[in-house]
Amino acid sequence: MQLNKTRRALVAATLTMMGVLSACTTVGGGGGGETAAEGTKAPDPACKLATAQDPGNSAPPQNVPVAENAPKLAKKDTYRVAFSQNASNNPWRLAETESMKAEAGKLGHQLTITDAQNSQAKQIQDIRSLIAQKPDALFIAPITEQLANVVVDAAKADIPVFLLDRAVDTNIAKPGEHYVTVIRSDFVQEGLRAAVALARATGGRANIVELEGTTGSSPAIDRKKGFDEAIKQCPGMKIVASQDADFTRAKGQQVMETLLQSNPDVNAVYAHNDEMAIGAISAIKAAGKTPGKDVVVVSIDGSRDALQAVSRGELYATVECNPRFGPAAFKTMQEYAEGKPVPTVLVNQDRFFDQSNAKQFIEEAY
Amino acid sequence: MPETTTTPAAPSAAAAPAVRRKTSWAAYTQRYGAGTALVALLIFNALFTANFLTPANLLYVQLRQAAPVGIVALGMAMVIATRGIDLSVGSVMAISGQVGALALLSGTGLVPAVALALLAALLCGLFNGTLVARYGVQPIIATLILFIAGRGIAQLLTDGRLQNVDDPAFQFFGLGAIAGIPVQVVLLVVVAAAIWFVARSTPFGRYLVATGDNEPAARLAGVPVRRVKLIAYATSATLAGLVGLMEVARVSASDANNTGLGMELDAIAAVAVAGTPLTGGRISPVAVVIGALMLRLLQNTLIAHGVSREVAQMITGFIIVAAIYVQRQAGEGAG
Repeated sequence: MQLNKTRRALVAATLTMMGVLSACTTVGGGGGGETAAEGTKAPDPACKLATAQDPGNSAPPQNVPVAENAPKLAKKDTYRVAFSQNASNNPWRLAETESMKAEAGKLGHQLTITDAQNSQAKQIQDIRSLIAQKPDALFIAPITEQLANVVVDAAKADIPVFLLDRAVDTNIAKPGEHYVTVIRSDFVQEGLRAAVALARATGGRANIVELEGTTGSSPAIDRKKGFDEAIKQCPGMKIVASQDADFTRAKGQQVMETLLQSNPDVNAVYAHNDEMAIGAISAIKAAGKTPGKDVVVVSIDGSRDALQAVSRGELYATVECNPRFGPAAFKTMQEYAEGKPVPTVLVNQDRFFDQSNAKQFIEEAY
Repeated sequence: MPETTTTPAAPSAAAAPAVRRKTSWAAYTQRYGAGTALVALLIFNALFTANFLTPANLLYVQLRQAAPVGIVALGMAMVIATRGIDLSVGSVMAISGQVGALALLSGTGLVPAVALALLAALLCGLFNGTLVARYGVQPIIATLILFIAGRGIAQLLTDGRLQNVDDPAFQFFGLGAIAGIPVQVVLLVVVAAAIWFVARSTPFGRYLVATGDNEPAARLAGVPVRRVKLIAYATSATLAGLVGLMEVARVSASDANNTGLGMELDAIAAVAVAGTPLTGGRISPVAVVIGALMLRLLQNTLIAHGVSREVAQMITGFIIVAAIYVQRQAGEGAG
């Protein structure tokens, strides 16, 4: 390729303008070589993941101290409890709240729910007023780690606190002392399970686009970590592009349109949530390719829309991120009241959905 | 940074007399900075991005993605021409998208659904316009109200749940094409041409610019300043509503939390980077379209070459700062 002087100057100028010379690497994109999920059907022998089964939930965390110094909970038949939810503007949160309500109703507990509407200040106020009402136990889905101080306040008011789905700063609120336990999802394991599914679907030979969740959010960090670590075991699986798509359908679609064009040899997508995966599927179709055939898509969450996509064969699999914390939350509370040892970290159970079982769960999915 | 975007300008700048050099350089950049950057990006991509120069990519990826921002930016440019600003466009997109989706899902049929959605957007625009024109509320405050409340309204309509809309006739607005040109692109051209014609050849166009240039003088000269402003805000909101519908159709789902999120900033950036002063009194639809195309292509170039979002945002911000800096330079040079 011959460049005349003006062109060369322009390219140099553009590169300087972008200020990221090192990030623009290969001329002509991808450079993946022999993409061959099609044709060679036998799984890559060098990739153990390709023949592995879904590893399932992670083992319960080992060597976790037991909650001993937290406020005690008297043994009663029914309790007066409170739940501070951080937001209600997405289906996952709504399903979580619904699950708390349903389980409390089933067990005959009296439950007060507050919604912080995505505001840290409001959640702190919510929790303060809940503390003033002196419930037997307090469930909190903390918006950020900064809620640690108000968790300490609850402990001082002698109310046992159970954290759901996110943690708080443990330098301030001590596990097993200021709160009983945190019941959360294992995002790293979810990423690992997605990697195993993608390896199986592609026989361990994949040029992967990774659609990341919002930069800095803990699901995005951990789901990336779990997946990226796992596929290192497979020399044939390469991430050719990894971009933030904000957990949204529209961004997933937009970013995927661009990446499909600049990396035509992509044959796999790993999306950190279902919404981005559904957006990516639209982009794959728009590019004239068949999702599930030309490009295999795997994601995390287990939403109803995703299960429908799985049953249509467009999405290969989705690893559940179970929003239904109610049963685990109240079971843990009961055990704590009975004086059984409660570890200060518990992992909620996530299921795995693919073509074999997606259809039967569509109705109950959120 | 500005130097790099004006590389092709170098010969003409060098040819200019030494004393006037700075002024003419600045004037050139102010007029054509975004266009020069656009050309530079196109050449860069043609050389270094796989499959860039294909009709499928240029039309169905690049232009289709840039067109919505362009259309909203054109409405924004009308408001900015009156020395105003419209922060509510993103929220109005969400409202219109939700209303349209809900109407469709409740079985009103396509035309009433679209009409209802646009009506909702128009009402938002009239609300903004009334606050600014009749009650003299500062535009940034007046439109901040709907920026905040509007998304809340949209979320309230559906409890924040995503509404799947797979009506094939409706999807045409997002995925369809007319004579091989994506709908969004056709609309962008139509809207740009209409605003260009209005600005250039109608009394309203002169009123618009006069209002922003010197409002007291315009009022004394008999320009119906209030009505001009009201129309500008109503147009901006209606265009935003239209784009909201197109975005919902493109994704086949209405998402109150995310439809149009950040659109106000993208649109303002497109207007500003095109060299339109935010102090009003000017409007150039062609420049706004170039600004929108340039910013979208810049973002896609960074995505295609694996630049992380954080860095991409910094670069985009830097380019906007540079554009505004150059404008100031040009302003001082002229004054």
